[in-house]
Amino acid sequence: MLRNEQNELLTRTGPDTPFGNMFRCYWIPALLAGELPANDCPPVRVKLLSERLIAFRDTEGRYGLMDEFCAHRGVSLWFGRNEECGLRCSYHGWKYDVTGQCMDMPNEPEHSAFAKKVKLKSYPLVERGGVLWTYMGPPEQQPPLPEYEFAMVPAAQSYTSKRLQECNWLQAMEGGIDSSHVSFLHRGDINTDPLFKGSRGNQYNLGDLRPVFEVVESAGGLFIGARRNAENGHYYWRITQWVMPSFTMIPPRGNHAVHGHFWIPIDDENCWAWSFDYHPTRTLTDAELSAMRDGKGIHARVDANFRPLANKDNDYLMNRAAQKAGTTYSGIEGFAMQDASIQESMGPIVDRTKETLVSTDSGIIMARQRLLRAITAFAQQGVTPPGVTLEHQRVRSAAIVLPPDQPFKDAAREALIAHPGVAPASV
Amino acid sequence: MVSESARMSSAAEARFRIQTPPPTNRAVKMIDLDAASDSDVMRVIGEIDDTDLVLMVVRAGGNTAAVSAIGTACSDLRVMTHTVVIRDAASSDAALSKTLGEVRPWSLMVVVVGRRDYVDDILRSFR
Repeated sequence: MLRNEQNELLTRTGPDTPFGNMFRCYWIPALLAGELPANDCPPVRVKLLSERLIAFRDTEGRYGLMDEFCAHRGVSLWFGRNEECGLRCSYHGWKYDVTGQCMDMPNEPEHSAFAKKVKLKSYPLVERGGVLWTYMGPPEQQPPLPEYEFAMVPAAQSYTSKRLQECNWLQAMEGGIDSSHVSFLHRGDINTDPLFKGSRGNQYNLGDLRPVFEVVESAGGLFIGARRNAENGHYYWRITQWVMPSFTMIPPRGNHAVHGHFWIPIDDENCWAWSFDYHPTRTLTDAELSAMRDGKGIHARVDANFRPLANKDNDYLMNRAAQKAGTTYSGIEGFAMQDASIQESMGPIVDRTKETLVSTDSGIIMARQRLLRAITAFAQQGVTPPGVTLEHQRVRSAAIVLPPDQPFKDAAREALIAHPGVAPASV
Repeated sequence: MVSESARMSSAAEARFRIQTPPPTNRAVKMIDLDAASDSDVMRVIGEIDDTDLVLMVVRAGGNTAAVSAIGTACSDLRVMTHTVVIRDAASSDAALSKTLGEVRPWSLMVVVVGRRDYVDDILRSFR
């Protein structure tokens, strides 16, 4: 459990909140590159960290992300005309470039210098790995571009999707580091989903429903090791990575692609669940890509606004017969919506003062405490939080079988670092 | 028509959640293995019958001599064991590995942290 003030601190990420200020130390995913597919294409509304923004791609291919509303009368620039290297408001023709600088005010005298004095708040928007990333902190403290491995491999080796999740970012992220729920909530899918089935590790997963955990602080966050019994007294370890503030990476299975998430606040009651799949050493097959686009694995089928087709308005397409038959454990289909349905049911912001945590929640407990310490250190002393440094981002999850006396922190040390071109440690 | 899930997960409905946390009366015993005397260990073992969770704290490279006795007693009585290993700046990697090897057979949860004050946070999390 947390005290109410701690829960407030961890769940509020708007401008000028302590965690909002710290979240703005990081590059975060803002859009899929495909949302701005061509020069002068329609602009896209974006809300991140409780700020309403507009994204556009200008005539020369430059990306812009700025205040959604025209400085003149507060009109949404979503109605604007994206033309001739700027976004022009449809109301009175004020025009802005990708930095938010007003370039033209047709309702002022010709050659008036006033336009130069008007600049909308804007943030950098940069493509890497099929994702448009933004940095919303002070320009003088902008860190280097992120180097998470999924965004660094060739495009044919990676696939990324996003979906709306209608709850606070933290309860969504905590699902990503809660290894003990997999044996229950996702039990029905491990052996049937095309992006999971067939690995030896699945049998260990399903054969031992009481994993034992070791949580180890890492430089950027946590290693969360779940161990299950394997043959000959050995242990099957699944080691999840959490990198602050909201990157999680699920241990791989067999030769399947490796996957993970970013959980990014839209506002305090909604977040984007970013889901990526990649393989460090091979291209993804047509069958894999087809399955990912079809919402298999950790992805979901979504509408044009990235809202899942199974959502709270249709009770997530609850199927009690499938639940009864054991085809799915909760009656909801697919890993992504199994998680989302459960987490949204907790309410817009779950009240953590009333939880009854147990020892297997230690990953969650430690993540909260690391975040709280980092927020305080940043607010009081300006200490750069973990996860900003590129070295903290060059990580991998791992699945490995070890003798009982061997700590995963030693045996999997190299496997937990992203080495380009080296296959992941997987069972 | 609004679905049951949409209505019940709204902020408006959240205020109707029962406000009183469910009682747990969880009994937690904490023992600092580096500082514990033999009598401390015997006292904890004697009290395990009325305990839900035993939290053992030890420095990396510290004194784990009592872990097996406590762990065996907990195992016999089906009591949860949770060990926090403190890896401070002076601890070597080899010392941490050795300690992990010693506590792992007797711990259903192991957490490795860099600061001792995490122990208080962990205890506070277990209402």
